[in-house]
Amino acid sequence: MEGEYSTDPEWASVTPIDLDDGSSSGAMPLATIAYPAEYLEATSYLRAVMAANEMSERALNLTKDVISMNPAHYTVWIYRAKILFALDKDLNEELSWLNDVSLKYLKNYQIWHHRQVLLSSKAHFPTFPPKEADFLMEMFAQDSKNYHVWTYRHWLVRHFRLWDQPRELEDVEFLLKADVRNNSAWNHRYMLRFGPRDTSLPDAGMVNAGDLSTAPTEKGKLSVVDEDLVDGELKFAQEAILRAPENRSPWWYARGVLRAAGRGLAEWEGFVSGFVSEGAVKSSHAVEWLADVFAERAGKEAEAVRMLTMLKEKFDPIRKNYWDYRIRKLDQAVA
Amino acid sequence: MTDPNPTFNTERHVKYYLRCLKTFLPSAYTSNDSNRMLLAYLTLSGLDVLGVLQSKTTPEERQGYIDWLYHCQLPSGGFRGFPGTDFGSGKRNKDNEAWDPANVPATFFALVNLLILGDDLSRVKRRECLEWLPKVQRADGSFGELVGPEGSIGGPRDLRYCCCAAGIRYVLRGRSETGLEGVPDIDVLGFISFIEACQTYDGGMAESPFCGHTYCAVGSLDFLRRTSNDMKPLPLLSAGSNQSDALITWLASRQTAQLEEPEEDEDEKQLEVTDTGSLDDRVRGLPNVQPIGADTISCAGFNGRCNKYADTCYSFWNGATLMMLDQYSVVDEVRNRRYLLEKTQHLVGGFGKGPGDPPDLLHSYFGMVSLAFQGEAGLSPVDPTMGSSERTVRHLESLPWWQS
Repeated sequence: MEGEYSTDPEWASVTPIDLDDGSSSGAMPLATIAYPAEYLEATSYLRAVMAANEMSERALNLTKDVISMNPAHYTVWIYRAKILFALDKDLNEELSWLNDVSLKYLKNYQIWHHRQVLLSSKAHFPTFPPKEADFLMEMFAQDSKNYHVWTYRHWLVRHFRLWDQPRELEDVEFLLKADVRNNSAWNHRYMLRFGPRDTSLPDAGMVNAGDLSTAPTEKGKLSVVDEDLVDGELKFAQEAILRAPENRSPWWYARGVLRAAGRGLAEWEGFVSGFVSEGAVKSSHAVEWLADVFAERAGKEAEAVRMLTMLKEKFDPIRKNYWDYRIRKLDQAVA
Repeated sequence: MTDPNPTFNTERHVKYYLRCLKTFLPSAYTSNDSNRMLLAYLTLSGLDVLGVLQSKTTPEERQGYIDWLYHCQLPSGGFRGFPGTDFGSGKRNKDNEAWDPANVPATFFALVNLLILGDDLSRVKRRECLEWLPKVQRADGSFGELVGPEGSIGGPRDLRYCCCAAGIRYVLRGRSETGLEGVPDIDVLGFISFIEACQTYDGGMAESPFCGHTYCAVGSLDFLRRTSNDMKPLPLLSAGSNQSDALITWLASRQTAQLEEPEEDEDEKQLEVTDTGSLDDRVRGLPNVQPIGADTISCAGFNGRCNKYADTCYSFWNGATLMMLDQYSVVDEVRNRRYLLEKTQHLVGGFGKGPGDPPDLLHSYFGMVSLAFQGEAGLSPVDPTMGSSERTVRHLESLPWWQS
């Protein structure tokens, strides 16, 4: 077969390694794909340079070609990263190429991990390159809830310790202004405000996750609470609720804030009650909130059941079984 | 679309899977080449759940498939995700082995595939594989995808790898240590700590809670629980704990009648807010929420995150997680079934991601298994953690290292 590589003098010294799908030894391959000829050729040269552990310019270009056909290939990215560092390539150039690839393949894990590997190099990026934030906003303009981009941004915050960088909160507020239902932006805000700052702890969202010796009741609570910060966040959530009362995100954000601060849901009883009166409900999430407040209060179980019944019968019929389950749990607690 | 008795078109689904098994997948799957072990699992398990794997393939074919799975096994233990990284025998050395590594998800799916095909795993390099597993675990308890250059752990910090690693340990360690003397276990306590720390303020799991990862978190713990009789109860899996309550609420909240991406203007619908007047006055000034008649909603699938629309595969991720927590009864089964059968089941067989989408292997399998959880006629019962038929798990438990 005459291919792009087999006819290229630059590759004349390389003997490609064909795909061994096992059929020559009698195996019956599973999930066989009608590979395009260009892919078969490029990957046969990739195997050859990988087998020789070749760190070269031509190998680098070859990885680009394979990535364009299969961006989910799990070793080609690692191989590419190794060559980039071995040849001491300009990583900013790599990032700008990566920007184009990311905009082309919006849902891909490997691209973002590769970016993380590059930015992890303290030698190349001792401090946060501000252009990163600009590019992420470009990605969010395509899809403001892109899971990979948010996960990467979460990593950036922890790696470069950006919790208090004004840009982080500004971008979150910009995105929430555009779409107050963007739950990923709410999550990011929570991480900036309350996420664990000890980077030796797991890279996750739980406040005070602790270790196995931390009592379950203490997990999720801040050890030191800045009450002004907490009040400010609760106010922020209230304003968002007024803009879209049926939006679940700020209601659950507020629950998370209260939990982190060790303050109970009852604190919002007054605010929430304003949403629920006989014959006029302004938000079903307020009904749920009241149900949870009453469920915790001795003698108020019947009120809690009334709220849950309202959700079941009027506002949230899809979750009828769930509301029944909640009602049963209350009945058991009373009995 | 308003068929009151939608049916699961068994014959068409069987045809769909047989086409995937016996003919080439279209070129568009090239970008999934490195996930062939996963695609193989979706195909084989699909036919197994449909109950036709034995009748529609010959013993020779099944042996050929088994041989291919072992063809993907590495001499040093574990499996590749696809034969594409194999340089051929004799060329592998210390300098290049990082480019042909064992892969955590691929190893798990290879083992499941072998079990589905009835293989006894006797050719699996069990000891080597279990020796490799701790090398893919990070100090914080999480798992990577593979061992890269200079023993580095490759792949993002990702709950998917945790679940597959726990699955490998479950399948290969079993209940008996025989033959495993001197093989170090993974750091189980660190692993549990990592998983528990992934629960976020709204009850879901992972940095940005998402139900595929939530499934993986709960699956990881369930795999551990299955082999350890002396493990202390885990709050996430214990009914009545705060963690478990929050998780169940989060999972139940994923069911939605929002089946497609909303029109732009609807999505951005927000009230004009005046910030004059007291908070109470402003609340009183809000419009009332209109009650929703139960008879106005016929279909409800699941989303993966808050404020997103439904997608076929989330009927599985959410449903399977609720199964592991023994709380599937909170699901609205009737509306989930109608969503799958009327909206995403495809005429040629298989399921698409959303209404009108063409079928693909992943959505076809997970849509079908969601129906299997609900006892759809003609489908075999599925183990939610293994993601394959209960038959497969019984076969696993008949293997020597499961006999305690």
